Parts: sequence; C-alpha cells; structure tokens
Amino acid sequence: MATHYLVKRFGQAVLTLVATVTLSFFLYHAMPGSPAESLKNVILSQAATGGTTVDIERLNQLVALYTNVQPDQPLYVQFYQYFSSIILEQDLGTSIYESKPVTTLIFERIPWSMFISVYAMVIGYSLSILIGAVMAFKEKSRFDSVSSSILIALNSIPYYIVGILLIYFLAIQNSWFPYGGRVSSSVTAGFNIPFMQSIVYHAALPVLSMSMLGLGGALTMRGNSVRILGEDYLRVAQLRGLRDSRIATQYVGRNAILPMYTQFMIGIAGIFSSAVIVEQIFSYPGVGLLMYSAIQTQDYPLLMGSLIMFTTVTVIAIFIADITYGFVDPRISAGGDNE
Amino acid sequence: MSTSDRIFEVRNLDVSFELNRGASRVVRDVDMDIYREETLGIVGESGSGKSMLASSLLNAVVEPGICSGEVTYYPRNGEPVSVLELSEAELKRFRWEQVAMVFQGAMSSFNPVMRVRTHFRETLQDHNRDIPAGMDRARSLLESVYLDPDRVLSAYPHELSGGMKQRALIALSLILEPEVLVMDEPTAALDLLMQRSIVSLLDELQAEHDLTIIFITHDLPLLTKIADRLTVMYAFGLIESGTVDEILYNSSHPYTRALLAATPDLDVPVDEMHAIEGSKPDPVDRISGCSYHPRCPMADMHCENNDPPMEQISSTHRAACFYHEEAAEAIPLRGDGNNPKQKGAVHE
Amino acid sequence: MSNQEPDDKVDLEELFNSSGGHEPTPLKERLKRTADLTLVAPARVALTDWRAVVGTVILFGFFIAGTVGVMLVDRPTSGDAPILAQPFENPNYILGTDTFGQPIGAQLIHATPDMFKMIFAGAVVSVGLAALVGLLSGFMRGTAVDTVLMSVTDVVITIPGLPLVIVLMAIFAPENPYIVGVLLGLDNWPGLARTVRSQVLSIREESYVEASRIMGLSTGTILRRDLLGQLMPYITINSALASRRIIFESVGLYFLGILPFTTFNWGVLMNLAYKGGALTRPEMLHWLVFPMVTIFLMSFGLVLFSQGMDSVFNVRLRARHASTTKNDGGAGDA
Repeated sequence: MATHYLVKRFGQAVLTLVATVTLSFFLYHAMPGSPAESLKNVILSQAATGGTTVDIERLNQLVALYTNVQPDQPLYVQFYQYFSSIILEQDLGTSIYESKPVTTLIFERIPWSMFISVYAMVIGYSLSILIGAVMAFKEKSRFDSVSSSILIALNSIPYYIVGILLIYFLAIQNSWFPYGGRVSSSVTAGFNIPFMQSIVYHAALPVLSMSMLGLGGALTMRGNSVRILGEDYLRVAQLRGLRDSRIATQYVGRNAILPMYTQFMIGIAGIFSSAVIVEQIFSYPGVGLLMYSAIQTQDYPLLMGSLIMFTTVTVIAIFIADITYGFVDPRISAGGDNE
Repeated sequence: MSTSDRIFEVRNLDVSFELNRGASRVVRDVDMDIYREETLGIVGESGSGKSMLASSLLNAVVEPGICSGEVTYYPRNGEPVSVLELSEAELKRFRWEQVAMVFQGAMSSFNPVMRVRTHFRETLQDHNRDIPAGMDRARSLLESVYLDPDRVLSAYPHELSGGMKQRALIALSLILEPEVLVMDEPTAALDLLMQRSIVSLLDELQAEHDLTIIFITHDLPLLTKIADRLTVMYAFGLIESGTVDEILYNSSHPYTRALLAATPDLDVPVDEMHAIEGSKPDPVDRISGCSYHPRCPMADMHCENNDPPMEQISSTHRAACFYHEEAAEAIPLRGDGNNPKQKGAVHE
Repeated sequence: MSNQEPDDKVDLEELFNSSGGHEPTPLKERLKRTADLTLVAPARVALTDWRAVVGTVILFGFFIAGTVGVMLVDRPTSGDAPILAQPFENPNYILGTDTFGQPIGAQLIHATPDMFKMIFAGAVVSVGLAALVGLLSGFMRGTAVDTVLMSVTDVVITIPGLPLVIVLMAIFAPENPYIVGVLLGLDNWPGLARTVRSQVLSIREESYVEASRIMGLSTGTILRRDLLGQLMPYITINSALASRRIIFESVGLYFLGILPFTTFNWGVLMNLAYKGGALTRPEMLHWLVFPMVTIFLMSFGLVLFSQGMDSVFNVRLRARHASTTKNDGGAGDA
C-alpha cells in the first residue's frame, strides 16, 4: 500500500478535526453578542435556581469553565486556549445543565449510538448490495422493474417517516416491538441473555428506519453490476470456463462493490447525522438525543461538544475505511510495491 | 498441411439477435472446414459478422444471440463433439481445454483487482489441473512470450503495458494446452512493432504446441504473413475461401478483388477498408439476391434476384459469385496479381 | 431503458451534428440552435419518459398550490372550524382539522410557498457553490487554489451534515425561510463540486485533442461551448436531489422542534400531531398522515423528475456518442 496515499488521508482527517474545532470556536463568537453575553442568561438562570448571584468577573470565569473560551482574553489567546484544551486535554468543556464534563456525558452515550448506527449501515448496505446484484443479474425482468419502483418510492420517504410508520404498525397497532428506550427496565444490566435480548429488541426499529438510508445504494449496485456484466474481463472469465460462483463473487461482486466503497464512506457521515432525528423519535438515549436535549436547554458546550464528537467518530470511521480500501482495490496504490 | 484432417466442421451456421425492428442475422448460412494445425485467416470489414462466427466456435455468442446449425469439433482422440449441443458443464470443460480464445479487448481481459498469478491459478483450479505443475507451465509459457515470469505473475493488470498484457493473455490462453486458439483482432490495439512481434511469436508457439490458429482481422496484409488459408466474409456470410496464394493472385469474387485493390501496399496495413464505395449492409433488412450487388460493378439483374451459391474453383478454392470467371478481367489489380515483391512477402 | 421511437433518435443526431459544425454562424441562429439543443430536444425526449412526465406533473401541482392555491384558500386561523373534524366529511375542510380547529388542507397549502423559498435558496446555494468550486478547481487544476478548494470540499463532506446544521440552527434560530434554505444548502454542495471538477477536467482533455485537430478554435472557446451542455445534466439532476434533501432536513428539523415555529410548515404539523399523541389516538391520525403524504408526494415528484432527466440526458449523450463513433465500431461485432 502506498504510504503517500495514507499520509494524505491522515492529513485530511486531521484537517477535518481542526476545521471542526475552529468552526465551533467561531460559532461561539458568532452567537448574537459575545459568548459571555449569550451564555449569561443561561448561566444566570442556572445560578438563580441555585440561589447564588454572579458578578461580571465571576461570569467570565464560569464561561471559561464551561466552554474553554475566556471572554476577557484577546481573540488569539482565546483560540489557542480553546484549541489546546480540546486537542491536548480532550476537554470539551462542561455541561451547563448537568454540570458534568461534556466528554463524560458523551462517552456514556456514544456506544449506544455506535451500536445502532453500525448495524443500520451494515444491514442497509448489505441488503442494497444483495438486491442490486440480483436486479442486475435479472436485468429487465419483473423483479428488476418492481424493485426499482419500490426503491424509488423508498427514496422519497424520509427515514424519520419510516420510523414513525414502524412505530405505528409494529409497536402500537401490534405490540411486537417497544416504541422507545434502549433496554427494558425489568432486566438487570450485565452480561446476561435477557439483557442482551432486550437491547437487540429495543434497537430493532431504530436500526431498521436508519438502514433505509443505505438502500439507495441498491440502484448504484445494480448500475455497477450491469456495467461489469458487459466488461471484457467478464467475457474472458466465461470463456476460460471458470466456475459460476467464482465469476459471481470475484469478478462481478468484487468489482461492482468497489465503487460503492466511496459512497459507503460518505454514508458514514450521513448515518451519524440521522442519529439525531431517529434517536429523538424512538427516545433512544444516544448522543443524538443528548444533542437534542442540549438544544432544548441551550446547553451550548454540550451542543458544540456533540458536534466535535460526531465529527471525530466520523473521521475515524472514514480513515479506517480508507486504510482498508487499499486492500480491496490494488489500483489505489498505482505502481505500488508487490506484497 | 494435411487437408483431410479436419478439426472443425461448420454447417449452415446462423447467428441472430431479436431486435425490436426484426431479427438481426449477423452470421448467415456459413459452411466452413478448419484443418488441424493450420492457420486460418478470416478477413472482413468490421461489422461483417466475423467476430460472431469466431464466438460460435466456442458456443460463446453474447446474450441474447441465438446460434443454429452445426459446429462439430474433432478432438485428437475420441468422438466428435457437437459444440452447439453441449451442456453448461460440458461447455465449461470444452472452453479453454480444447479451444481458447483471445479477443479484441485484450487490454481489459484481466480482472483489475486480481494479480496475473491468480488468473493462471484459478483457471487451473477450475479445470481440476495440478496447480504446481500448471504454474511451472505458466512460467515457461510466459518466458516463451518473452516476459519475465516473476515480475508478470506478481503484477496487477494495470501495472503491465498493453503489449505485455496481450502476451500474458496469449500465455494464459495456452495454459490448459488447447488444440485450437481463436484470435479475434488480437493486435488491433497494438502498435506496428508489437503487432509484428506477436505475429512471429504465434508462428513459434504454433510449431511448439501443435496449435490450430484461427486468426480474425480486417488487416489483410497482416493475415497474408501468417495464414495458410484465407476466408473472406462479406455481409454476414462467406464469399470466398482459398489458400493465401489463390486469394492474393487469383481471387474470383469482386469484393475480394476490390479489397485487394483498395489495399495500397501489402507491406503496409490499413486500419479500415473504407475505400470500397457504398454503404455497409444491414443485418435486419436483407436485400434480395447477392448481398454485394449494390456495390458490385459487375452486378446485373441476375445478381439482384438470385443469391449465388459457393462454387468450387479448385480443390481448395471456392467463391460465391455467378461471374467468378470474369472477375479477374473486370476488376484488375495493380500489377495484375503477378507482383514478385508481393509474392516474396507472402512466403517470407 | 426508455422506449424511444427510432425516428426521434435520428432527429436528435441531426440536431447534434448540425450544432457541432465549426463554421461561424450568426448569433440568432446560434441561439436558436442552443435553445433547440438544451430545451426543445430534451423536452421532446422527456415526454416519452413516464418518470419525467409524472415528476413534472407532481411538481407543477405543488407550484400551483403554492401560488394560486394560497390565493384561493384562506389562511387558516384557530377556531375556523370544529376541533378535530375527520377528513372527507366536510368539503370546506376536506382533510379534517387539528386540535385548534384549523383546516389541515389549508395549512398544507399555506406551508407550500415557504417550502419553495427554502428549496430555492438551498438549491441555489448548494448548486451555485458546487458549480463555482468545481469550475474554479477544474480550471486551475494543480494550482494552490485547486488544492485548497478540494481540501475544503473533503472537509465538508466528512463533517456530519445534520449535527452541523442543527448547531447552526440552534445558534441563529432563523425564521426567514430563505435563510433556513441557505443554512441547509451549506452542507450540500461538496459531492456535486467534485463531479463538476472532474467534468471540467475531462472536457479539457478532450478539448485539447479536438482543438489541436481542427486548429481553429482556442481551447477556451471549446470549453465554454462544451461546458454548458456537459454540466447541465448534472446540475439539473443534482438540483432536484438537493431539493429533496432540503425538504427532508427542514421538515425533520421543524418536526423535532429545533427550528422556531413561526410559520406553517409540514414538519410543524407533524410535530404538533406527534406530540399530541396522534399515533395512539385514531381521531388525530389524519393530522399526522396528511403532512407525511405531502412530503412523500413532493419528494417522489423530485426523485422521479431527477431520474427521468437522467435518462433524458443519457439519451442525449448516447446520441452524441453514436454520432461521433458511428464508424469505428461494427454493429455486428459487438
């Protein structure tokens, strides 16, 4: 694998993180008034419920404590401090509403979001690869045209509407699945079968509605496969008398899935995006729901922290996909070394 | 050349495609014999059906094409094989073990995500051959086409040049020791030098492996250098066949003569034989009579209404023209076919 | 795929051939040919593709609702009608009413103009940015400008779009539909920008060859001439897809209650109905269902339109291709 390619992708990942942190810093400043101004009311109301009073100096200290932005310093110092506390100390600030470090809050929730997102993606893309391949092999058949129509229709339904429909039909009309939460309150947490079952059971509907996002890939897969069925190397493989199973997997499958890899990588960002809405619909307590409640309570440090965390997870996922891409497609390291 | 030892016998071969505007017959009523260990050249304009003819020898006409007629293959030992009636499983064994094919897309004939080595290995594996022995054979084949086996086997297709890929493909086509090698425009995408070296390579390989080679091209001058016999296709059917000398100096079909006249110098290949006047024939709306009559200077009423049969001119020479005896006079060639330089070129 | 009449194709080929002539033509004639090429011919092909037809009809229906419909139907206010009237019972509020007695049909219609404003602003921003970045980057290939622009593009692709948009919405709390559209569009351009760039690059490659062959036109002229024709398909299709995404996201954000409820919106209707427990109360179900159907219809229209356009442009490209490569591939040899 060409090291040049990896270095470039790694640089890209770092750049994305830096850009996001910078963006969130400037968003603090882009808030109506200064960060102190905009946070003042929030902090004051917090303080009022706690029965304490706050003067301007104390306010600045509190802003710095919560956000890592020190409003009384020059801009570049502010930026440096904000930046270094996030990158060097992994300190995303403190939640105003919950008075806990943002990182702690997010790390509690992130496994749950990852859980449903990863499964949604795996299920969505596997299904679409399968459907797309069958459609291509049976090009112009009844199956092909019916599936195309269904996929186009599905493409026109937002995943959150799919979620609502799933709740209505599978959780309310028929109580086959729970319509919210991540685990039943009646099971004891731990490494036991009922607990795991309950987790899977609760995740089923959110995963299903999120996996709708990946289904658009079926049409891409169909197109790719149809194209490869017309390639010279496929014809030569048939002339060579190779086994059908080998032709289907090594020749058609592998080459058709490759171009989808990039789509898949971009899809990673899309899946994490959708978590916010899906988790809210299913009251699934992941990072998305945390972000949603941060908006409701104007908990800006938590909001910014969630954004940075979402980006970090996406960047890491894409970087992993990048590394593995070189293994499945040798052309990525053109002129590279041999084994 | 032992003329009695046939390896392929083709009778009444038709290939057609169902189109919206009617059936498209892209090979029409072809009768042809191919003899063991000869090199047969099939020449014709692009779109004359010669690739389809070649594919049908392996029963490998692309979907949804339909082959009908008889293609009989005579193995060295054993019963004759009716190629068009083979089952899927029998076909898989027949292809590449008896007849291998190298066709015009050689540049993209390798799976881009697999090393060249894997191509050899999977071919051996799926034909139940001994893999270590087969890979040794692969190495010696690659050496005999002047490639470095270690470098080529561990390379990915995109790491090889066009000429290297072409030669690697020829090596791959011989890995199962086939009797027949069908080459469909194998040199079309290569430069002149590479074309020449591949052609001389084929001579060596043919002698070494007792191969029968069927070489399809629109490059007539190239064919005269390697073929023993030539077959000319026009409008999806055969119109003349004979030894190279018979075709070059005594051709009896007006189309063949026009073709030769349009070829400026037999040492310089032409890319396309555009110089013949008139438009190409249509595979759907077939005209009545001789398919060449709209372009033929000798055509008369008889030609417009009747399809000329193949007529025997000598024991090896046949042509489908009512006026084959007058053709030489009506369409003279430069030097009238007695050019000693050309003759020399043919036998070199 | 599309059921083309053969004579239609021949017509198209002629069109493209004639417009590909290199002799100078009068401006008026050129304009006419351009119009033929970019409007008349595709429209004729589009008529034969059912998806393009159905998609266009649906979108036109929404357009009528958003313009004429708004004038014909009164702006709904609380207490207009009985509370929670069921649909298809009273012709005055055919889709029923909500818990405030506001007719649902009228709310859906009055939400349409703002929807169009959002879509318009969002599509202009995302497609505009994409075209700008893609063109600049493509023309200045290999320069620092190209590197910077492509790095920015990759960064924006990677940042999860919705969380970013949510943060922006939470901070700025925009009420103007145009601004909502712009903010949603900001996240939407990088994919198209990459496509535009690679198109520019491939046209450049082709144009150099062509220019050196005919030795009369500068590369710039050819680029300008080819660019519009080559990029139009991508821009049209991507505008439709960007519009669909903007509908999904804006309705989603109104549905979640992240955007302020200052106006009628399909998402606001869904939010109120959903929060009111419409899923478990059958008498409220229509309040949730009709906005969902509306969203589905509109995005279905957009998806059909984009797919129809895709095959329309493919027919064009094929015709173009056929006219340039007619003689070097044999029909029977395929």
